[in-house]
Amino acid sequence: MGIREKLLDFKRRLSDRKMYSIVIVIIGAVAFWGLYQYKHAANLRQELDNQYNRAFFDMVGYVNNVETLLMKSMITSTSERTAATLQEAWRQSNLAQENLGMMPVPQHILANTSKFLSQVGDFSYTLNNQSLYGKQLSEQEYQQIEQLHGYALSLQESLGELQNNLSGGRIKWGDLANKGAGIFSKTSSELPEQQFTDIDKTFQEYPTLIYDGPFSDHITTAEPMGLTGDMLNSEQAKQSVVNFFGADVIREINDRGKNDNGAIKTYSYRVLFKDKPDEEDALIDVTQKGGHVCWVLQNRPVPESILTIDQVKAAGLEFLKKHGYENMVDTYYIKEDNTATINYAYKQGDVTVYPDLIKVKITLDNGEVLGIEAKGYVFSHREREIPEAKISVDNARTLITPRMEIISTGLAIIPTNYKTELFCYEFKGKLNDREFLVYINTETGQEERILIILDTPGGILTM
Amino acid sequence: MKFKSILTLIILLTLMFTLYTTFNYVFYPRPMMLPGTALAQGNGTSDEQLLARAINGEARGESYEGQVAVGAVILNRTRDSKFPNTIAGVIYQPGAFTAVSDGQINVPIDTNSTVVKAARDALNGWDPTNGCLYYWNPATATSKWIWSRQIITKIGKHNFGI
Repeated sequence: MGIREKLLDFKRRLSDRKMYSIVIVIIGAVAFWGLYQYKHAANLRQELDNQYNRAFFDMVGYVNNVETLLMKSMITSTSERTAATLQEAWRQSNLAQENLGMMPVPQHILANTSKFLSQVGDFSYTLNNQSLYGKQLSEQEYQQIEQLHGYALSLQESLGELQNNLSGGRIKWGDLANKGAGIFSKTSSELPEQQFTDIDKTFQEYPTLIYDGPFSDHITTAEPMGLTGDMLNSEQAKQSVVNFFGADVIREINDRGKNDNGAIKTYSYRVLFKDKPDEEDALIDVTQKGGHVCWVLQNRPVPESILTIDQVKAAGLEFLKKHGYENMVDTYYIKEDNTATINYAYKQGDVTVYPDLIKVKITLDNGEVLGIEAKGYVFSHREREIPEAKISVDNARTLITPRMEIISTGLAIIPTNYKTELFCYEFKGKLNDREFLVYINTETGQEERILIILDTPGGILTM
Repeated sequence: MKFKSILTLIILLTLMFTLYTTFNYVFYPRPMMLPGTALAQGNGTSDEQLLARAINGEARGESYEGQVAVGAVILNRTRDSKFPNTIAGVIYQPGAFTAVSDGQINVPIDTNSTVVKAARDALNGWDPTNGCLYYWNPATATSKWIWSRQIITKIGKHNFGI
């Protein structure tokens, strides 16, 4: 039977009375199902709209608070009051930034607004810490607060405008989800996206802000201090790759170009090995200046653990010594999937220098080094001029809670989260069967940091 | 006669519509807690698991280095002032990752997959992108804006940029 006959046959059957009612029922059922689905989708969209609205209105509230608090911090005259006000400003701007990240607009549209909120929080936190130690705000810091307050004010105004549009129903978040859906897409001026773009424009002239915090603008421009040697071309730097793996195991070195982004400029290579398949390759970055190994990343399945952690610690130390890293000591480690990642820090005299950090990933089946992460070392390693401690050990000891039982004492240089260093006494102690590290500044006697040591079968870590 | 042809047409259309929606419904990826999947083992921190799932959704088919690189980009974002500062905040930022928008992030992790290892290496500080904040597949990227980014490196199918 041809298709034509079949169709005719189908038509004939449709004309049958019984068939007719069946068809009606089917259409009815499908229509009902469709309606149900539509209602369901509408409910979900409403739910989503509500979430977006909540995040938005919360954000507006937090930004208003930030503006008020910055204003207040300029007026307070006691450092305790300033500290309290700035701490609240830090909290409120963090919340505002968090809610900003929930807005359904592409990240780049609100990038500057997000940066502003991050910096206001970070800056407030830094000043709060200063004020806690009784330090009054300097003239320059007042000016910075005033400047930030000006931006907070204009952000508040433009958010207010957007808020009115939202309340008046002139903007719906759902429009964003439908954007780009072909015939349903709208002209850009009606979209919240456009309105947010206008808000972000407020920050086009936003100045660079420099202070002692992780989001300060000078962090990104810091110069590495551990780079010794001459500038090399890619061919010369390749020698470091050969030295690292050994000429006898390398099958091929492919150039992956150079990387001029960031503080540490590098050449990238991909290395294939003689007795290994192509998938078990290694990527390696070598600094353009001096040819120092920056990081190595390699992967292979490790089926079993044979070696103990002490054996691989020694193997790692041996490996580092062979490659010219002298006076390294292991600090923390973690064991996962039959490999151990061990942290090694540089030791200058009797001072442990934690910023000069190299992480080594070693397999527990044959002690092979699978990875190196030496950015910390490359960035900060140098022979430091370590000053005399102004506070004696015994004096420092009295600054720690007597409830902690001291196990050992040492000297250490620890990094801050804005790339400076602090020279401290390192006290290892015990309280309620938990071990702690307490760092007391050798110059000011300030308690700079407290770390909890997590000693588990999987490794020794701090937090 | 004419009425019946219209009726036939309607039936065919509804049939197609039903098939289409059922297909979508059935093939929409959902989390399944199969025994032996990395998710179900419950070891590691929540950050590690979330990062591993994001890498799985975004870069399952990539090389090991490509997977670490995707994890590193997510972590670099948490440290940048222009992005949310938690791993969950970055991963679930609306529209940030296609694997989150289309639910691929909920696909269970294959036991032989290297994504959990890659997530750990990224968390331990390895960053083959040297600080990149974006990546995109040049073959499938739909955003014109992404091409305004400076390309720093290429790993597998992805361009990495700042």
